Amino acid sequence: MKFKRGTVNDEIPTASMADIAFLLIVYFMVTTTFAATRGIDFSLPQEEDSPLIDKEESVLIEIQPGGALLVDNKPLLLENLLDYLKPKLERNPVKPVIIRANEMTEYGYMVSVFDELRQAPDKIGIEVKNVSIPTQREINMFWY
Amino acid sequence: MRLRVRSVQNQGIPTATMADIAFLLIVFFMVTINFEVDKTQVFLPKTQIRLEIPKKAAYISITESGQIRVSGGEEISVPVHPEDVLSFAADVVARDPQKDFVLKADKSVPYRYVDGVIDALKQAKAQRIYLLSEQTTVDSGAGED
Repeated sequence: MKFKRGTVNDEIPTASMADIAFLLIVYFMVTTTFAATRGIDFSLPQEEDSPLIDKEESVLIEIQPGGALLVDNKPLLLENLLDYLKPKLERNPVKPVIIRANEMTEYGYMVSVFDELRQAPDKIGIEVKNVSIPTQREINMFWY
Repeated sequence: MRLRVRSVQNQGIPTATMADIAFLLIVFFMVTINFEVDKTQVFLPKTQIRLEIPKKAAYISITESGQIRVSGGEEISVPVHPEDVLSFAADVVARDPQKDFVLKADKSVPYRYVDGVIDALKQAKAQRIYLLSEQTTVDSGAGED
């Protein structure tokens, strides 16, 4: 009696590998979001390194609803803010700068002021080291 | 006259390298993928200074209408009442005192909502906040679209 031997294919079947790979690509393309994952950092004061700031010794930037600035109670354009700060920072490099936004001010205006201060090294060659953003609760507690 | 037999040409499209290319693309997506824990739709403020936000940072988002969502950085964000932000932040800081927080707020939201969140983070002894922003273009202004 004769037996026929079946021929066995000794190659690994890779024909569907590209299909699987492309399915995975489609999955990643659908789930990937090119989200904004950048922003401005702001270090919050810790108790041990947060002395009370004397209002008279600092620069107070008040942001009105609509984005108008009052710097030390005088109106000032955002573009001129760093020029105003430069001589003060040259005399005192750690001069406190307080940002105080009105409760109805749009958040974007506060961020643009903070962004302007962070650009000080590029624009006027001095870093604004001491930026403070007091909250309403802190203002009620400590403002005098 | 006898014509010469034409050489047989392979008519198939060579697909042998397709899998290699596909796997290269997969590796690219696997390396760059960033699962968003917070998908709140907001119009972010624009800034020149933009630093890379650390992965696994906790998220607090505020919509234009003042609705707040929070995420510890690994789970999908959930809506919370403004008064619960402090307990959320305190819980996150208790688990990891070095944890960074990301504030993802709409640029048009009234500042009092942001003030409340920052105050909660200060009370919870958070160390660093990242104010999420978009890249400023040359012509764009502070509060413009």
